[in-house]
Amino acid sequence: MLPVAAAVIALAYPKVFSLPYPQHVGVLICMNALMAVAWNITGGYTGQVALGNTVFFGIGAYTSSLLLRDFGVNPWIGMLAGTILSMIAAVVLGYTTFRLRGYYFTIACIAMAEIVSAIVVNTRRLGGAVGVTIPIRDASLLNFQFHGTNKAPYYYTILTFLAVALFVVYRVERSKLGYYFRAIREDEDGARALGVNPARYKLIAFMLSALFTSVAGTFYAQYVMFIDPASVLAQPVSVSMCLMAVLGGLGTLWGPVLGAMALIGISEATRVTLGGTGQAVDLMIYGLLVIVFAVFQPTGLMGMLGKLKARKE
Amino acid sequence: MRTGFIKRRLPVVLALSLVIASMVLGACTPQTNEPGGQTGEVDKVKIGILYPLSGVAANVGLDSKYGIELAVEIINGSYDFNLPLAKEEGLPGLGGAKVELVVADHQGLPEKGQSEVERLVTQEGVVGVVGCYLSSVTQTASQAAERLGIPFVNGSSSAIGLTERGLKWFFRTGPHDAHIVGNLFDLMDDVRAEKGKEILTIGLIHENTLQGADMGDMAQKLADERGYEVVCRFPFPPGSNDVTSEVQSLKAKDPDVIIMQAQTPDAVLFMKTMKQFDYNPDAVLGYGAGFVDPKFFEVFGKNAEGVITKAAWALDIAENREDTKKIADMFREKFNQEMTENSSRNFTAFLTLAEAINRAGSTDPEAIRQALVETDIPGDQLIMPWEGIKFDSSGQNIYASGVCTQVFNGIHRTVWPFDFASEEIIWPRQNWSELE
Amino acid sequence: MTFEILAQAVINGLLMGFVFALVAVGLSLILGVAQIINFAHGEFLMLGMYTAFWMWALFGLDPLVSLPISIGVLALLGVCVYKLITKRILDAPRLTQIFATFGLSIFLRSLAQFLWTPNSRMIQNSWVGDLRVALGGVYIGAPQLVAAAGAILAFGVIHWLVEKTEVGRAMMATAEDRDAAALMGINTEQMYTLAWAVGSACVGLAGGLLTTFYSVEPNIGLVFGTTASVVIALGGFGSIKGAFAAGIIVGLIQVVGGFLIGPAFKFAVVLTVYLVVVAVRPQGLLGKY
Repeated sequence: MLPVAAAVIALAYPKVFSLPYPQHVGVLICMNALMAVAWNITGGYTGQVALGNTVFFGIGAYTSSLLLRDFGVNPWIGMLAGTILSMIAAVVLGYTTFRLRGYYFTIACIAMAEIVSAIVVNTRRLGGAVGVTIPIRDASLLNFQFHGTNKAPYYYTILTFLAVALFVVYRVERSKLGYYFRAIREDEDGARALGVNPARYKLIAFMLSALFTSVAGTFYAQYVMFIDPASVLAQPVSVSMCLMAVLGGLGTLWGPVLGAMALIGISEATRVTLGGTGQAVDLMIYGLLVIVFAVFQPTGLMGMLGKLKARKE
Repeated sequence: MRTGFIKRRLPVVLALSLVIASMVLGACTPQTNEPGGQTGEVDKVKIGILYPLSGVAANVGLDSKYGIELAVEIINGSYDFNLPLAKEEGLPGLGGAKVELVVADHQGLPEKGQSEVERLVTQEGVVGVVGCYLSSVTQTASQAAERLGIPFVNGSSSAIGLTERGLKWFFRTGPHDAHIVGNLFDLMDDVRAEKGKEILTIGLIHENTLQGADMGDMAQKLADERGYEVVCRFPFPPGSNDVTSEVQSLKAKDPDVIIMQAQTPDAVLFMKTMKQFDYNPDAVLGYGAGFVDPKFFEVFGKNAEGVITKAAWALDIAENREDTKKIADMFREKFNQEMTENSSRNFTAFLTLAEAINRAGSTDPEAIRQALVETDIPGDQLIMPWEGIKFDSSGQNIYASGVCTQVFNGIHRTVWPFDFASEEIIWPRQNWSELE
Repeated sequence: MTFEILAQAVINGLLMGFVFALVAVGLSLILGVAQIINFAHGEFLMLGMYTAFWMWALFGLDPLVSLPISIGVLALLGVCVYKLITKRILDAPRLTQIFATFGLSIFLRSLAQFLWTPNSRMIQNSWVGDLRVALGGVYIGAPQLVAAAGAILAFGVIHWLVEKTEVGRAMMATAEDRDAAALMGINTEQMYTLAWAVGSACVGLAGGLLTTFYSVEPNIGLVFGTTASVVIALGGFGSIKGAFAAGIIVGLIQVVGGFLIGPAFKFAVVLTVYLVVVAVRPQGLLGKY
């Protein structure tokens, strides 16, 4: 019953809220949820704290945009090319960094992301610091562009991507693959002793994660119609997807989605109501909430729901 | 086992998540106004302003916001200034309706610029938007205004491309990079021709941002055209902790003139490092928020002496015109800091939009756009040293220009064009050792 | 390229390196003992700089004079942050800890903007601000020299504390195994508090010294924070010696590399070196684990 109701509400959302801003918030939530779900595959299930996933977001955004601008390639094909490139990048990054443990791996991811960003910023052919403006085509699903103030088509597109990602993760979670992922998280050496090759499965997780993050990148480019390194290849992008997954509940199917709703909701609501003062009150509240949450609810929103439920029973 | 657990938990999670989402959205969705306005009697006219009020450019965002708040005070009150809308209270063309600001923060992110314009227009009911300072954000924000059919007036984004997009609803009152960099080269040409100084080589330093790269490309092009040699070009990421390699490379190449674009902290760090290395180019031509920021001089003191800046506004311009001086005094009193280039540019952009709304006599977007197209404000009704405001078909103010100022005893004095100069230019500038 | 220019680049790199080392040593101590990487470390530095700035602006104290105050204020901040926040998440997943200190960094940055506006500020006419030493054609800035001296001093004190004193041994025992240390009668709670206090005091020192050369604004922490994280990873987590050495190496690579390869890529060069080092030695230069 309830899942059906939820699906109906998710689908009806842009019909109920016809104004562009609430629709935009809906799009933002879905896009960030997609990124957080993707991040959760490595960060949550296999326990590898990767803080450089902005690389895949950037590759997705830049590949489709440059192919469209310079060669007139359809963005859907560009998206496919982006995911392939991202997965190749994931293999390269994975091979060079998976030997590292804990924070060494985390810092290595940050390093990779910063290096790629420095290369793009200083390469004129890739738009450099100026960024890339996506050429305007006729509005259609085929062109992956919808103009006007009705953002419902964008919303449904990204909702579909999100649903696919959730479905894939759902299947993975209950498969042998998901079991191996969790085994690596709990005890990497133990997993190896049981005949699981940690490097191989970490790589698979990383590639899956890269794939969905890259799709989100292409979507962002087609949605905002302008990308530059400061907005798609930046540290805050990597951090925010991680924060959403942690806030929602690591290694859970719905945690990242909940986390995206809560974090985007809080940051948009505080910015809109308090951001105009220029005193950064909105960010103060945001930071404080993050701290309070981490201290009192370290298992995330899913953990909180679990507790509530246990109490009720 | 596990499957059952998920299945049992799923509905609760879904339900709760949707409740949260709808609560949040409900909270930030005030009453709705359809875009488009009414004619005739209204008691207030809402105008949206959009600046970076948090993050690295927050100080410039605040300067801009202050400039606009002063403009609102002048429009809504009655002041004896020779400025549009100063004498009467409110907008006489709309029966004395008051102007009301809706302030928004885009945090320096292009995506936020876009969505904020949409929110301001469709939910706050603004009839026009002024913003955004950062060129990359202005780019997406003005695109959103174009889709909504709402006028967007910009005072301080200088990327050339902004007015080359064929937008119908975008107007820029301030100069763009070709003007700004062009002025710097005009100054150098004049110094060569009239003062008989030798200038052959140029070093370029700029931020690795849209604005910085734009300026660097333009300077490179003008140098080639006018017979200067660019011997080095160093883009740097904003917010650097160390610029010794840049300054050392500069010193090794030793260009006659340095053209530098930077925000305040980086500008200070560059100048300090140059001083430490005792590197003395003939002139430092600064451009960008860093060099017009009064805080630059506060923090940098006597070391700023002799820096030449391209500005659309300077305090000595204020001294030459009584009204402008009074406005600068008002600003100082109200906000406890000096009026800056960015305050005055956005003050002017806002006044231009308000004047057009008043002349349109309506809050209908198309009528306002038409009025903006027909704008013709004479120079003596501006606080800027411009001949006036009049837009070409691309939406660029054809009279936007600037002056070059040099720092004398911690104060910007106009030194170029030579005809308007209030001080004789000092070229080459004093060495660091002479400044001690 | 003359010898003089190269010598200048090397000296700049060394001096910058001492600054990085000074910032990183405190972070390394906190991570080594309390097992938490403090993502708000850069913001701690920012508060240290503001302390020095306000001591100068309000009471006319030179940053070198107000150093004890900056150190004290930051030590107190470190203790508060430990008692109020990180103490409660010692056993939480690593990600929750990252999450908390990250929230703290946003909070402190916004608090600074709220209290002191986003404007840049700088101390005028500090004792060493405009001085420099010229050796032939090579210039050495006095602020950097003083910061280098401070870095060496801070490193010396911490090294002595950790290696030569009873307290230091107790601290290291706590770092190795909290439960075992507690069984041995060590007050682990005190050890954690001490690590946070001393680690934060280091950035108080760094903040005071940096204000002689850098302007202060709410985002200045970002400028040093990432570099500090890379430095301690390169040096090897938990190794204070490693952090100190890595700071100097990073400074040298950044400045000399930036000079030779092009300033635009200077940080990228540092990061590449990090990746190469950990590819060969996954535990960093001097790390134990």
